Amino acid sequence: MKEGRPGRFGRSPLFLLLTRFRARLAIRMDNFIQLTLNGLTLGSVYALIALGYSLVYGILKLLNFAHGDVFMVGTFIGFGAIQLLGGTVNPIVPVWALLILITLAAMAGCAALGVVVERFAYRPLRDAPRIAPLISALGVSFFIAYSMQLMFGAAPRNYDTFSLNGGALYTDGFDIGNVRVPMIRIITIVSAFVMMILLWMLVTRTRVGKAMRATSHDREAAAMMGIDIDRVIVFAFVLGSALAGAAGVLFALRIPTYATIGFLIGLKGFTAAVIGGIGSIPGAMAGGLVLGFAESYAQGYISTRWSDLLVFVLLILFLVFRPQGILGKADIRKV
Amino acid sequence: MSGGYDDELSRPVEGALEASTSEGPTSPAVGRDEWVARHGDNRTGRTGRIGTLEARLRVVPWWAWLTTFVALFCLVPVASDSGYVRRVAFDIAIYMLLALGLNVVVGWGGLLDLGYVAFFGIGAYAYALLSSEQYGVHLPTIVAIPLVVLIGATVGFLVGLPSRRLTGDYLAIVTLFFLQLFLTVTTNGDDLFGRNVTGGANGILNVDPLSIFDRELAVSREGGLFNPAYMYVVLALFVVVYVALRFVNLSRTGRAWRSLREDSLAAEVMGMPVNSLKLMSFAFGAAIAALSGTFVTALSASVFPLSFSFPLLIIIYTMVILGGAGSQPGVVLGAVLIGILLELLRDPGDSRVLFYSAIIVGVVAIFRFSVKLAVVVVGTFVFGFVVHSIAGAVDNAWVNGSGGEGGGVADFAANWVIVPVDVAAWITPVSYISLVALALVLTLVHGWVRIGLLIPVLYLAAFVWENVMLSKPEPTRYIILGVILIALMIFRPTGLLGEKRVEII
Amino acid sequence: MDDRLLDLQNVSMAFGGLKVVDDLDLHVSRGEIVSVIGPNGAGKTTLFNLITGVYQPTGGDIVFDGKSIIGLEPHQITGRGIARTFQTLRLFLNMSVRENVMAAAYGHTKAGVFRSMLRTPGMRREEQEIRELAEKRLAFFGDRLMGYRWDQPAYSLSYANRRRLEIARATATNPTLLLLDEPAAGMNPKETQEITELIELLRTDGGYSILVIEHDMHVVEGISDRVVALDHGLKIAEGTFEEVATSPQVVEAYLGTGGMARK
Repeated sequence: MKEGRPGRFGRSPLFLLLTRFRARLAIRMDNFIQLTLNGLTLGSVYALIALGYSLVYGILKLLNFAHGDVFMVGTFIGFGAIQLLGGTVNPIVPVWALLILITLAAMAGCAALGVVVERFAYRPLRDAPRIAPLISALGVSFFIAYSMQLMFGAAPRNYDTFSLNGGALYTDGFDIGNVRVPMIRIITIVSAFVMMILLWMLVTRTRVGKAMRATSHDREAAAMMGIDIDRVIVFAFVLGSALAGAAGVLFALRIPTYATIGFLIGLKGFTAAVIGGIGSIPGAMAGGLVLGFAESYAQGYISTRWSDLLVFVLLILFLVFRPQGILGKADIRKV
Repeated sequence: MSGGYDDELSRPVEGALEASTSEGPTSPAVGRDEWVARHGDNRTGRTGRIGTLEARLRVVPWWAWLTTFVALFCLVPVASDSGYVRRVAFDIAIYMLLALGLNVVVGWGGLLDLGYVAFFGIGAYAYALLSSEQYGVHLPTIVAIPLVVLIGATVGFLVGLPSRRLTGDYLAIVTLFFLQLFLTVTTNGDDLFGRNVTGGANGILNVDPLSIFDRELAVSREGGLFNPAYMYVVLALFVVVYVALRFVNLSRTGRAWRSLREDSLAAEVMGMPVNSLKLMSFAFGAAIAALSGTFVTALSASVFPLSFSFPLLIIIYTMVILGGAGSQPGVVLGAVLIGILLELLRDPGDSRVLFYSAIIVGVVAIFRFSVKLAVVVVGTFVFGFVVHSIAGAVDNAWVNGSGGEGGGVADFAANWVIVPVDVAAWITPVSYISLVALALVLTLVHGWVRIGLLIPVLYLAAFVWENVMLSKPEPTRYIILGVILIALMIFRPTGLLGEKRVEII
Repeated sequence: MDDRLLDLQNVSMAFGGLKVVDDLDLHVSRGEIVSVIGPNGAGKTTLFNLITGVYQPTGGDIVFDGKSIIGLEPHQITGRGIARTFQTLRLFLNMSVRENVMAAAYGHTKAGVFRSMLRTPGMRREEQEIRELAEKRLAFFGDRLMGYRWDQPAYSLSYANRRRLEIARATATNPTLLLLDEPAAGMNPKETQEITELIELLRTDGGYSILVIEHDMHVVEGISDRVVALDHGLKIAEGTFEEVATSPQVVEAYLGTGGMARK
């Protein structure tokens, strides 16, 4: 028998092994692409939420526990807006207009909610010790979550985006290898990134953005330079909450929402902000993506049940070894 | 034993006057000092009858209060043979123990531990694993409880470890995440590396009851009533924990805890090992929470992951904050009040009476006995009857909804508040959101505008209560807790009996 | 002098690229009162933070009582015998005046938490000692912090009394070296005069060696055995008050920043 002849080789154990390996590699590759895609979608939503935490924390040094619940309200406003626009089976406006309208509605509603929360629950506590607004924030979070449950029940709400244009959002798109990248994910990722870039430009290029950065650097000095601190803080809440509202809609396009979802999502969003470096805007984006990828890979390669564990370990590792996060600056202890 | 602290208060000292005349500026500086001083004035400036009463009550030594309180508590199962009342009394005793433990961490240590409930759960699960068929281990109680406490303290220590380098907010998020993690592990623990550890969402069943010297303490007596002995055991431990903690608080350790709450850098520079003190307070809180967990598991003979979730955390925090973080009698009072409140809100009849009484007490407390009070009360009554009769005249179905339980109050409500037979779906969110919005506006306006607005707001509140909240006790309870927390932090951060403010540095 | 209690050797400290303390040599001998002066931002408070271990120096060595204290935690350094006050007053505001002082005795007392729970006789005896120590330390200020003030919360004290309480608290750690950060700041002339006498008394009666940061030149003149002037982290002059006050560098450092600062 002569080795190396094609026909022979075709049946040789080595070839079989190779093909099997290649097939497995292809499946692995597909799996990896799929998980990366999931991570990117999830991460972009986390990043939007993390931005809200970072904006408020940067200026007020307040961990706004209610932020996750603002996000939740955003998902519900989106749901309500869809119903007002005729539902997903037969909407009265084109699909693109529907998506834009519900996002804008959620952003506006959440911005208003954020302003109300700031005005009534946090502003009276501006000069109080740190723990006071934190506890107030816990109360707000609880109040919002269960108010929604009181009004709309505890049952999950599904946007049912599959009915839009007969499922076009899921069938349209392009392929990477054997993996379909559906329209709905493209929409989520692209709009999240567009919003982040807009925010980045707002903060770096505009007067109000400069005022925000000055305030987060040193509130008292900024006030003495003639910056209206109240306005800056309100603005931070408007921006952060609007982003949370947008994140809510983008999230709920694919995943059902319910009244107490804000707790866990908010926790993840804050973790993302911490990992990225709290107070830093690019940090929040990076942290969101890192968290999204970590969670997605953990779900795919370890177990769906234990992905939260990995996120927690990640948080602890960052806090112990790099508390300033990926892009944050080390704090100098002021005495 | 602490008499020295109280005696000094009333005794004037020679030279005090001269000393105070030559002082510099006496008003405190800006920032947090001002906040402290503002709320400090609230409690020191009391005069008149209430002031005298306060001074009189202050003379009663702490142990007399404690003894009286516990004695009264012990009478509950004697006074009532209702299984429900006894069960509530047991729950409240557990809440008291939990509140004491949280007070160590939040009130004294000044650390925002949002994973506190997880330690409660760890105690519950540890006891269940040490005394059930899950692993076939049946430790006697006298061994199991110290072991559970030790486990709780150890886990608390480990979770507190990151706090070495963490400031308050970060610690809060780590502990909150730890709570989430605990829930994940217990819910998915039926397949922990292929082994069933926690029984998953189904929990662990058939946990052993407590046993004292080989005699099992039956969970229920004949007739299905639960055994009040469990409540006595918890109360006894409550007393032990209370006294032990009180002694610790008045020792160098307690002073060090409170110092690091006030200013951890100053504490460190004054020679206190801040990190190990933080860990110690964490471990203490966790140990007490774990201890409480054992009794709950033993009494219900089972343990489920969902008993240890975020709402319970908020309940305990509300107790501690309402009573006054840092004050032991305060947090116990908070536990009793919130415990009773939550129970009353379960029952539509009770909660209706509670709602209208709270409104009346609230209005009287705000306006005292004045013309304004009369205007508000009469105005609200008239407003209600007018609206009710107009609505009734238009369509009888608008006002014929069921009156329900609550005795005379229910009859009154049925003739005063509009309760439609069918509540349209849109009415719920619209009325509730307008109520919240108007209530917030109420805090912005003053004088007669406020009174004018108050009348429809009160009526709207009654409407929302009758039509929306009464039928949904679960979210209603939690909404009320949320409101209590926010309102306390804004209007009375020291709580009912708190003498201390809490701060994270 | 060879009897150096505290000896800073070539100590440097930089935040990022900014050198706040630059190659500084400074010592305090036993029983000596040394004043550190310098315009704002000269690195004086940073110096205190370096000595107490709040910051770790980026270069050099700090020797206290013959041993290096580099790398020790702040509470360990306090345990060795260095205590300080803060320019920005960091009292335990919600604790009583007496408890503020008692808390500072933590480092040199022993009773563990379980002994406290059981209130063992040993623990009670120690507690009594702590209490007496606190009262003795408070009595140092005449009747300003005595009597009914013991049980008042610290936030109810006047500004001057808060400064006094800070000193009392620092001395309760049983130090050998006291670091006082602007003890006379915000005081009226009468109180300033008082604090000047008091610092001298701290040395004679208390037996402490003292390193003090002060802006008020009357105080500096009144108390100092030796004066060290800092500017931008550099030592620009050292010697008696007269020598330093007339040193051209010092005059320039102050005039350059807008004249002699006198608060």
